[in-house]
Amino acid sequence: MSAVARARGGAPIKRLLKRNEFYLAALILVLCVSITAANPSFLTLENVLSFLKTSSVNGILAVGVLFVLILGGTPDVSFTAIAQVVEYVVVMATLRWGGDIPLALLGACALGAVMGSVNGFIIHYFRVTTIVVTIATLNVYFGMLYVLTGGNVIFVVHPMFKQFASILLFPMRSANGAVYGLSLMPVMWLAVLVVGWFILRHTFLGRAIFAMGGNEVAAQRIGVNTLWTRVFVFSFVGLLSGVAAIVHTAIVLSAIPNIIVGHELEVIAAVVLGGASLFGGKGTIIGTFLGVLLFAVLKNGLVLLNFSSYWYDVTIGIAITVGITVSAYQQQRAERSRVNVKVEAVAAQ
Amino acid sequence: MDDFLRLKAIHKSFVGAYALKGVDFSVRSGEAHCLIGENGSGKSTLIKIISGVEHPDSGEVWVKGARVARATAAEMIRQGIQVIYQDLSLLPNLTVAENIAIAQLAKSGRPLVNWRTVHEIARAATARIQVDLDLDAIAGELPIGLQQMVAICRAFTGDLRLLVLDEPTASLTKGEIDNLFTVVRDMQSHGIAILFISHKLNEVIDVADRVTVLRDGLTVGTLSREQLSTDKLVEMMTGRPLAQTRFRYAGGRKKKLLEVRNLSKRNNFADISFDLYEGEILGIAGLLGSGRTELALALFGISPADSGAITIEGSGQRIASVQDAVAAGFAYVPENRLTQGLVLKHSVAENLVAAVIGRLVGRWGMIDASRRDGLVARWINSLDIRVAAPDLPVEMLSGGNQQRVVIGKWLATEPQILILDGPTVGIDIAAKSSIHQVIRDLAARGTGVILISDEVPEVVANSNRLLVMRAGRIRSEIDSTAATDAEVQALVEATA
Amino acid sequence: MTDARAGQSDRSPSALGALTPSTERRRIPDASLYVILVAIVVLMTAVNPERFPTLSNLQSMLSQLPILAFLSIGMMISMLSGGINLAIVSTANFTGIITALMLRALTAGDSASATLGVTAVAMLAGVAGCMLVGAFMGWLVAYVEVPAILATLGVTTLLDGVNVVLTRGYTISNFPDALLAIGNGMTFGVPTPFLMLLVVVVLLHFLLNRMPFGFRLYMLGSNPIAAKFSNINTRAVLMGDYVLSSAFSALTAFVMMGQLNSVKANYAQSYVLVAVLACFLGGVDPFGGAGRLSGMILAVIILQIISSGVNLLRVDPFFVTAMWGAIILVLIAVNHFTGRWREGRRLARMHGPGAPEGAPTARPSATEPNSSPRGERVR
Repeated sequence: MSAVARARGGAPIKRLLKRNEFYLAALILVLCVSITAANPSFLTLENVLSFLKTSSVNGILAVGVLFVLILGGTPDVSFTAIAQVVEYVVVMATLRWGGDIPLALLGACALGAVMGSVNGFIIHYFRVTTIVVTIATLNVYFGMLYVLTGGNVIFVVHPMFKQFASILLFPMRSANGAVYGLSLMPVMWLAVLVVGWFILRHTFLGRAIFAMGGNEVAAQRIGVNTLWTRVFVFSFVGLLSGVAAIVHTAIVLSAIPNIIVGHELEVIAAVVLGGASLFGGKGTIIGTFLGVLLFAVLKNGLVLLNFSSYWYDVTIGIAITVGITVSAYQQQRAERSRVNVKVEAVAAQ
Repeated sequence: MDDFLRLKAIHKSFVGAYALKGVDFSVRSGEAHCLIGENGSGKSTLIKIISGVEHPDSGEVWVKGARVARATAAEMIRQGIQVIYQDLSLLPNLTVAENIAIAQLAKSGRPLVNWRTVHEIARAATARIQVDLDLDAIAGELPIGLQQMVAICRAFTGDLRLLVLDEPTASLTKGEIDNLFTVVRDMQSHGIAILFISHKLNEVIDVADRVTVLRDGLTVGTLSREQLSTDKLVEMMTGRPLAQTRFRYAGGRKKKLLEVRNLSKRNNFADISFDLYEGEILGIAGLLGSGRTELALALFGISPADSGAITIEGSGQRIASVQDAVAAGFAYVPENRLTQGLVLKHSVAENLVAAVIGRLVGRWGMIDASRRDGLVARWINSLDIRVAAPDLPVEMLSGGNQQRVVIGKWLATEPQILILDGPTVGIDIAAKSSIHQVIRDLAARGTGVILISDEVPEVVANSNRLLVMRAGRIRSEIDSTAATDAEVQALVEATA
Repeated sequence: MTDARAGQSDRSPSALGALTPSTERRRIPDASLYVILVAIVVLMTAVNPERFPTLSNLQSMLSQLPILAFLSIGMMISMLSGGINLAIVSTANFTGIITALMLRALTAGDSASATLGVTAVAMLAGVAGCMLVGAFMGWLVAYVEVPAILATLGVTTLLDGVNVVLTRGYTISNFPDALLAIGNGMTFGVPTPFLMLLVVVVLLHFLLNRMPFGFRLYMLGSNPIAAKFSNINTRAVLMGDYVLSSAFSALTAFVMMGQLNSVKANYAQSYVLVAVLACFLGGVDPFGGAGRLSGMILAVIILQIISSGVNLLRVDPFFVTAMWGAIILVLIAVNHFTGRWREGRRLARMHGPGAPEGAPTARPSATEPNSSPRGERVR
């Protein structure tokens, strides 16, 4: 093996094995196999498309969380509140003034971006950790939403959403006559993943986010504009929350005030399990996708295996706890086996 | 050679204190110039002014024969001046190529990243410096010597005319230091001037074309190569001639305090065996990465050894934690005073009693205030710790006094064996010798002392026996009472 | 002569709203809190002159204060080590549920008829459950080295789920008199919970300020590495810290059970926010190593007054949640501006005549892990 290859950590296969994403994918595979063994209807196209659709919301939100975690520091927890607020605003606005999906999407993104940018400015100017600021804005946004809407569920939304939800790519007929296919929601999720990947990998802005996550002081010295990079990240989170709001409305065809809020940890845990570090500077789109997929498969599995709904939260909680434990333990092991000194093999003299 | 950089009559003060009181300083094109001075001499401020991060209150900055009116950071970079700080300011999670290219990318303002361009920039830089770096390696995972190369490559991508290096060799191995100086000489041949800040006088003497000494915010003088000698430099830095004494061992093999046999820890050290007697100072010398600190951390229980035997006064010890080590009679004054040795925000008193707080318990499990205060007073007096009141935060003390607090903390545990790791790093020369005296007095009173140090002169003058470690093993054991610095330096640097 | 201090990392993006963890803060009971307290009382009286300054309101505040206080103090204890206990309310619910289920089991369904002895046994079971949770969190943070935010977030999710499973979503009520007495009774003329609070505060004061555990805890919070190097068993201290923090969840649980005569999964979740707010207001440094009980008590009193005052105005409870969020933001801003000012004073004090030279810079040591100079420590 050449010196260069050794420095890179070994042959390509070995490097693959060291990556977090590999183990995550393997785990998902194992889960899929086990669930299918117990209930064969798991691995049908219809079922897969279905749970991909319902997990698009978390999937889209997760990309935003990834950006925040890469930037560094504690996670943002206000994104669900932003999504909730935007959902209500859009639903009510479309009921009042009509329009079409693209317009609604535009409005949602704009509103979400503005709400998110507030976090960015506060965190930058007041030098406070993300989690504290976002706990505060979460409660402000969520509280105000309830106050202004009275906590009312809106049961009927503008027909555009139903139209949007019913668009099926590659429609097929199932055994019992129902039509199913790839709906636009997972497609939007995919689009968000691609956009996210592109920004992180191929734009200076994306590299600046990584830079700040690695060493913010050095990034500043190099010429990175920390204010705008930070504001961008949080605005992007808000924007994605807006997208998620549209997707969510299309899926549930109603507006319920407390259905998105409360899932922050699930999304954050999915991103962390996917390899993003709470210390910043690390994380991949693939990993985030796999993390969300893991939770989606778990949840779907629970349903198909007829677990009572009470067990959902416990299972997710266990999954999260086990996941972060394993992750931390792995880091410990890496630390302990670090080579501090290259000890000479043979005693001289 | 003309002056590339010229500073005239620079004055700078901060809230309530003068840092620079009229400094004249110049660096010629293509020369290797060293700037030395003790802590508080104004070195750091001078560097900040050169790099444009700070502005002088009065005085002039001239570059290439023209006066620079507004010496901002951006302007100085434009003039070709780059600083590599001690922390290297690398982005540890990004690749080498990115680290090298990123400053240029930021300047160009282009939104998209062309990875091919990034690699080209990086390759050009490494080619110019003639260093072989894996461009795709993650910067934070490289050994520090290579990280420094990355930092230099990054500085190189501008139109570099003066490179300022702040304590560049502080954490480098011998090979890496040689590498660095080769690169530096090569840069010089291209007309680039190098300004070093260093406290390692032997390296300064080796490398510099000229040396400027700062003291108390003023230039004491500039010596050229032929005039350099350690004694002269020390005298200029401290204002007094250096008095060098050596440790005198009371002699005669007394009680054996510590016996270590075949101590090993994978990837840290192997087969370490030595003895320590009452009243001795056993020095451990060796290059960075030789395993000295790792050995100390194993004896002290922070990262215990995998195998081997530790015997104290005849009874075998199992050291699996710091608590075990302290119970066995060990004490350790760590390498890094500020992060490992002291809790800066806490008071002098609290730091002094930190290791023995459990022993100061009186009724109802509460801390006995009078015993605590007594202990604090005793060590402040006995170690001559200069502080206005014991409840002031320890971060307010000078380096030398801070070190005394650390030593006091450990003496309070009444150890049999005191291990000191780089005890005078970052401490002024005058304070250094008084710390040495403290250590010698300790030994004279019967404590066994193990002195680990990077600085060969320190270890030679303050020990009666000396171990030289290399690559995790003990290579030599000598009687240092009559040894010379040069002898020991040769042993330390020997590669076989 | 100082040159290294100025321009040091004091300006790097760091602390939570420039909560300067200086020893000044630890020594001086924050004078501004007294001012705020007076201002709030005046404000509330002005806004609600008929119902606020009444005896019944005072009694009501005194009886509600202990719950808020116990939770806030529990949160403070976890913050002292540089961590956080986001599971504090879920643990309280869990304790309550365990106790309630035990009561039911021991009395074959008729909990109200439980004797003192049976009640005590049930409460012990609840405490045991609580300690188990605390130990688990302590283990995660101290031994597995999971960042505290993640660890306690994970545990709170887990507990919320477990609580729902245990109660099947129902509310359990009908508790015995002994338990109700804890919540509603009077001892020596003072509401029992309040007396409990007083006793606990006094004991905690001694534990934190006069005993080795407290000493070690503050050191650990301020600099965990140096603490380890100073013969402090950091793992044991962290463990103890989370167990102690959870103990306050147990106290909260019993008072709540007594006052409300019911337990439910996911009750009072919004209190986590208020507890964090109380710690902020009370001067606890979220990075660890600083925070005084006296500040906490004042902060809790202030928040309780705000809460009661706002409740009297019959304000929408969700508005109240939004309000707490807004208060945190205001507090952050205020801390920032006063912190800056305080920072300037601190720097001036250190640069004054006769001040020592600047601290020597730490060289990157080969045995030291690559520390991020970000200054934002996440635990």
